[in-house]
Amino acid sequence: MEKLNQVLLRDDIRVGADLDAWFARGGGEGLAKALQDPGAIIAEIAQADLRGMGGAGFATHRKWTPVAAAPEGDKYIICNGNEDEPGTFKDRFLLEHTPHQVIEGALIAAVATRANHVVLYLNPHQPLCLAVMRQAVRQWQEHPLFAVIERMVGGRVALRVVASSGLYIGGEETAVIASVEGGFPFPRRKPPFPAEQGAHGAPTIVNNTETLAHVPGILRHGAQWYRDLGVGSAGGTKLYSLSGDVLYPGLYELPMGTSLATLVFQHGGGMLQGKEFKAVFTGGPSNTLLTKRDLDVALDFDSVRQRRSRLGTGAMIVVSEGTSIVRKVAEYVSFFAQGSCGQCPPCKGGTFQLMRCLNRLDTGRGVRADLEALENLCRILPGSGRCGLIDGAVTVVESSVNQFREEYEALLMA
Amino acid sequence: MPAGIPYEDAHKRYRPGVMPTVRSDDGSVDELLKGYHPDHGPNARVVLSVGVNRGEPCQPDLARYLQANALIDDVDIAGAQLVTTDVLVIGGGGGGCAAALIAAKQGTRVILATKLRLGDSNTVMAEGGIQAAVGDDDSPQLHFEDTLRAGHFCGVPELVAQMVMDGPDVIRWLIRLGMMFDLEEDRPIGGNLLRKKPGGASAARILSYRDYTGLEMMRVLREAVDLDPGIEVWNRCPVVELLSDEWGRCAGAVIYNLEWRTFVLVRARAVILATGGAGRLHLNSFPTSNHYGATADGLVLAYRIGARVRELDSFQYHPTGIAYPPHLAGGLISEAARSAGAKLINGKGERFVDELKPRDVVASAILRECAQGRGIEREGQIGVFLDTPTLEMEHPGILAKRLVTLRHLAHKCGHDAAQEPFLVYPTLHYQNGGVAIDKDGATSVPGLYCVGEVTGGFHGRNRLMGNALLDILSMGRRAGTKAAELGGRVMASRAGIGHVHAWQRELTLAGLPLHVKAPRLFPDYAHFDLRVDAGLHSSARG
Repeated sequence: MEKLNQVLLRDDIRVGADLDAWFARGGGEGLAKALQDPGAIIAEIAQADLRGMGGAGFATHRKWTPVAAAPEGDKYIICNGNEDEPGTFKDRFLLEHTPHQVIEGALIAAVATRANHVVLYLNPHQPLCLAVMRQAVRQWQEHPLFAVIERMVGGRVALRVVASSGLYIGGEETAVIASVEGGFPFPRRKPPFPAEQGAHGAPTIVNNTETLAHVPGILRHGAQWYRDLGVGSAGGTKLYSLSGDVLYPGLYELPMGTSLATLVFQHGGGMLQGKEFKAVFTGGPSNTLLTKRDLDVALDFDSVRQRRSRLGTGAMIVVSEGTSIVRKVAEYVSFFAQGSCGQCPPCKGGTFQLMRCLNRLDTGRGVRADLEALENLCRILPGSGRCGLIDGAVTVVESSVNQFREEYEALLMA
Repeated sequence: MPAGIPYEDAHKRYRPGVMPTVRSDDGSVDELLKGYHPDHGPNARVVLSVGVNRGEPCQPDLARYLQANALIDDVDIAGAQLVTTDVLVIGGGGGGCAAALIAAKQGTRVILATKLRLGDSNTVMAEGGIQAAVGDDDSPQLHFEDTLRAGHFCGVPELVAQMVMDGPDVIRWLIRLGMMFDLEEDRPIGGNLLRKKPGGASAARILSYRDYTGLEMMRVLREAVDLDPGIEVWNRCPVVELLSDEWGRCAGAVIYNLEWRTFVLVRARAVILATGGAGRLHLNSFPTSNHYGATADGLVLAYRIGARVRELDSFQYHPTGIAYPPHLAGGLISEAARSAGAKLINGKGERFVDELKPRDVVASAILRECAQGRGIEREGQIGVFLDTPTLEMEHPGILAKRLVTLRHLAHKCGHDAAQEPFLVYPTLHYQNGGVAIDKDGATSVPGLYCVGEVTGGFHGRNRLMGNALLDILSMGRRAGTKAAELGGRVMASRAGIGHVHAWQRELTLAGLPLHVKAPRLFPDYAHFDLRVDAGLHSSARG
């Protein structure tokens, strides 16, 4: 199909750590343009309306601007490659097959903000990604272009690969910083935001792997090119991790704003066993479910927000009539309960209680009081933690109870 | 098939006490098997399209079940009770009981689930005996060679070696459990074990108890399981699907309680499938000697979760299944009769094969006689005579003393075994191949073990009499030991039927139908439909 894998996942650029091959296939051109006019980089990113692909969909230029404006001194660009959400498997593909696409994006960010530290923060559960990235980094450090970058930034640039703790919570922005500083990945209160006070107190940008991967293309072809790639008012392409009850689960790069129906039925081969579409966990397991009547939704940040849900990482976990919603929610909440770092009692205790109620319901031991307890927890828990983990857990539970109350009710003993 | 010689004519020609010599044949054993054994011929096999053994041959009827869809969907087990244990044994025959007993001995919690009742199995029906190299004119080496040779050298030497070496110890174990064995001097205690020579063996090494060895064996195993506080027995609880964790390991099973019509999820560190054979699938339209529950459930589920299988295009047809009366067709007449000296006579009064040859040879010979018009036909059933009257004449009293079940069987068939011969025809008897296992019964799927007839690799393409009983106990005890060792490992957090979705994807991409479901749980004629029985959501498509 024509619109598939046009940019980030193009066949010919999957060269792994081979830097020469990357340059031979158009790599490096974005960086070259950036080096010609460093002052214009952020404007181009703003013009393209590049959004964060790690889940928040935050406008990327709004993270870069304050760091660029900060006075001379240590500055950090951190690529967040901790990818550990159930149902998301895009970053690992980029890291393994197009590492230079990601590194080039990070280096452009460094040039734009005059950052002297570029850290590639990777999950050790993906040892192949770690190995490939280390190889890729070495090649950059030995390349004459690197000296040009350093001149632009105004001094030595430390480009390194750092293995994360491998814990789920280590993917949260402030936890990334804590980990890079050498500590346990405990999330921190915001404000202060990383752009003002991040790693070792210095202005820091934490960007998702995919976000950085889009940057070279934007610089190379221009913001308008990027905007034109999307559907409607959305710009660029998006990596959608499609999984669940579809015939062809997998990673699909499609125009931002592709409809859910197109993704599931055209590319994903439709529903497994021809069963009816029931719901989709949009953006991963921390968000509101979309149902049958949302099949026409454009999968971009703003359109999905209008349906009271979030695009998140672009993960789409599809559920058919043959799969129990309660079971899946119980699975995800268990994941959150295990992933909670434990700093904040409401999250530590809250995820545990949510999980307990869900397990009772899912194993035929639930009573009405358990369902009521779930709803009560959803009311009192949001915002009670330093990070968004507890909010994500509550969102998915609440959404599932609202949309599929009959399923919960059917499981009650009394 | 050409018509047989009418029973009345054949019976007139038959002379008890006359022992003709075997008619000499110009064909070789190879030609006989290739020409008449159901494992051979144009319709003997198809190639599997999905699964680990994709591209390999399989009996066509069995392939249909192996490549079928699951019985349940995720939504069917929503709200199902969750039980956890250390070792889940599925199957209540000899293999399952042996595994459960040994696992419980190591202190692990065991649940033994069976879809009928504890003891309902092919084991209990075994008559002839169990092989073990205990005689001073015998050795495990000879036992090893006999087994490999009979299996046409397709057996795995390491597995066969382990089995034959286990033989003597298995017998000791059974004796300690209280099992009785026939003795040389026919004393109730003391003296040497009576040994008989089975077809295809080079020494006398069948140990038996009358001609109901399996019944006696199952008696002691059942009692031992019943009395063991570490084993919880779930009767009337078939397994309908296995559970897998996120890494594809076996993490337990979905059990259906037939009495309460509910599903129960059992999480276990190890699952041991001892589900027996496939006779009640009536492959190649043969009658079967197997018990009611032999519907290849474990084989189907193991293959679906990704276990390698082997020799699924090879089945044993026992030469002497009851052919008349029709309502008992397929019922087994023990090889013990032939071991004791009973001969096979065709419609012309001829002996046509050495009765002590391996089963596949004798069965093929009978099929040849019937195909070439020398079979005996009675009320639509075809077969040859098993000459029990002559046997009784040569060994007076043998029917009353040693071949009690045979005499009883004749009575059920409506004749006196001492006066009238049986009409016999090959019956689908044993699954030679099955799930591939290592020396501890482990399959290629972590957490999943298999024991007994459901496994392959011991008997090659043809099993020797008495080796099946040895196989189930030898491997049952080893798998029980190994499964119990997993006790220290942490159980995976969440188990589900994710492997079923991957399977459904494979079926769809291979163009296979999704409406054919397996395992059967019960034979066709039981008219059992799980979805109806459990009141499951109807699924119009798939």
